[in-house]
Amino acid sequence: MSSVAQPAPDVEGSRFILPSFARTTAFRLTLLSAALFAFSSFVILALVYAATVTAGVRRADNAIAQESIAIEARFRAEGPAAANRYIVQRSVAGGEFLYLLNQPSGRRLSGNISNLPSTRPDDQGRVRFTYERARVGGQSTAEPSRAARGLISNLEGGYTLFVGLDVEDEARFVTYILNSVLIASGLAVAMGIVSGALVSRRFSRRLDDINAAAREVMAGRLQSRAPRNFSGDELDDLASNFNDMLDRVERLMQRMRSAGDSIAHDLRLPLTRMRGRLESALVDAGDLADREAALAQAISDADELLKTFNAVLSLSRLQTGERRRAFETLDLAAIIADVAELYEPVCEETGHEFAVDAADGLTILGDRELVAQATANLVDNAIKYTPEGGAIMLRVRSTSSGAVELSVTDTGPGIAPEERPRVLERFVRLEASRNLPGVGLGLSLVQAIAEVHGAELSLDDGPGASNGDGTGLRIALLFPRHRA
Amino acid sequence: MRILIMEDDKQVAAFMCRGLREAGHVCDAAHDGEDGLEMARDGQYDVLVVDRMMPRRDGLSVIETLRAEGMATPILILSALGEVDDRVDGLKSGADDYLVKPYAFAELLARVEVLARRRDPGSVQTQLSVGDLEMDLLARTVKRGGEDVLLQPREFRLLEFLMRHAGQVVTRTMLLEKVWDYHFDPQTNVIDVHISRLRSKIDKPFGSTMLHTVRGAGYRLQA
Repeated sequence: MSSVAQPAPDVEGSRFILPSFARTTAFRLTLLSAALFAFSSFVILALVYAATVTAGVRRADNAIAQESIAIEARFRAEGPAAANRYIVQRSVAGGEFLYLLNQPSGRRLSGNISNLPSTRPDDQGRVRFTYERARVGGQSTAEPSRAARGLISNLEGGYTLFVGLDVEDEARFVTYILNSVLIASGLAVAMGIVSGALVSRRFSRRLDDINAAAREVMAGRLQSRAPRNFSGDELDDLASNFNDMLDRVERLMQRMRSAGDSIAHDLRLPLTRMRGRLESALVDAGDLADREAALAQAISDADELLKTFNAVLSLSRLQTGERRRAFETLDLAAIIADVAELYEPVCEETGHEFAVDAADGLTILGDRELVAQATANLVDNAIKYTPEGGAIMLRVRSTSSGAVELSVTDTGPGIAPEERPRVLERFVRLEASRNLPGVGLGLSLVQAIAEVHGAELSLDDGPGASNGDGTGLRIALLFPRHRA
Repeated sequence: MRILIMEDDKQVAAFMCRGLREAGHVCDAAHDGEDGLEMARDGQYDVLVVDRMMPRRDGLSVIETLRAEGMATPILILSALGEVDDRVDGLKSGADDYLVKPYAFAELLARVEVLARRRDPGSVQTQLSVGDLEMDLLARTVKRGGEDVLLQPREFRLLEFLMRHAGQVVTRTMLLEKVWDYHFDPQTNVIDVHISRLRSKIDKPFGSTMLHTVRGAGYRLQA
């Protein structure tokens, strides 16, 4: 836990500092739900309590009223003595009622309590009071005062009747329930805090692991990865995605590094050559024509370098995908015809058989210049790698799936299936072609152009090499068809 | 001719001026957009070369301002941004040609000279002639020394461009841009092959060379 980074110490300083587990989201959520639970159970139980109390009071009041009416009836019919007898009978039988029948003088006639309650009755004569229970034998025990309710009625002839009912047990029961409820709520909150702390501790420990991995990577240890528990939960998912991201970053960095190496390698050769030429032109006392030749050669070396730079620049530009907004409907056959027209004389000179087979009316959405450039690159490559006397075929046709396929097929050595994914990477040139001109950007440029057009680039075996040594190569771009 | 360079990199500007002077031109340089604008208004220049990114006022704004003021001097815009949208923006602002950095000086020189000697676009020509080479743009025929030369459509356009700029150096990139409308560099020197084909039709049968190779720069058609 101590390793949790505090990225904003200034904020931290001005705040009440909580233990770190208490700052986690998991802890806060657990605490919140515990508080909600405690609050809602408190409210529910308070309602139950109120209902129970009200019902108890009503029941007691009803019983008191009935008893009081029964005594009154006897009093009215047979006089104070009968009422007295009844009260004595009931008291001796051990009923729960409290009685007091006072004479008009205020003296007690009968009953099991000595005085009227001291609390004031309401307008209906109802009264709440506490009393000390008189034990059998008149002995007062240490029992504390008990809660009771009663009814005072004035009878004929100035007699006063009091009937009460002990509600102490009921009140105690309700209090007991109330206390249990309060304790249970308190326990729920306490358990919420504890479980929140535990959950958040677990949660933040796993997050810490991921954070630690992130910090390691920031510190330059790019191989560091977040540990996974393979439970498939969201944290595991996060760790997995985080690791995949790092894998990709690492791959990209490696590729960039190797791209940097290869570009340095590819530029060093012409630069060294150029420097040598310029130096010898400067030092050698050769004639003017020799010097001029050396200078012209140096210029053409520089042009090669510029071409390389431009290719790198346009590849980077292309990969940002800005170009898509200039898209228009293109007839592939027309583009192919233009490129073919550009290269046909070249093939004639290099001794390659060159054929074009383009179906008319197949349109795609794209950038004329880019599609032409991709095609030109493919033809360039085919010319470069196919031995003299070989054949190159440019083709446009629709596939059974409705896509538009542009392909360049040659009868060169081909590319082994396992090497195919690699040749699409920037600057990668297969060892066999290291001595040929170019910087290995051609195919990656084609790949980037394909991506911009939503086209799929595929490399396959060709019809076999013309000199029997190899498979030939067929590179196809599968464009989604677009009808204007 | 008088050329104004607007380029904030003083070394590059000095190098460009020296090259242009060696080629027989008069060259001034401005190092930011505001200075450039003032100098362009005051001086009588034949061509302006404007860097797109400059302090105080960017190249596109300079060009738009000058065009809005009615200046018709040909303008070549230089930019490190080479993609089609930037080129379109540059040409839309009123520039006549667009050159992407890094470029070869020969390319810059050729383009500046072509721009400076640009013919009045108002006069429509139907006949071109260079020495004993004649081109009829309406009948689409070519004759050398009165003898018919049969050309493919693209060869015709290639020759037309060369004849329109007879005596000037045209670079391979210029040909690719103006004749084929491609703005990328093919790895193979396709232009050379097309030029040699054209030579075999207009030069070889007649025993004298009109289509010359200019080393390190491009080609020149000359009588």
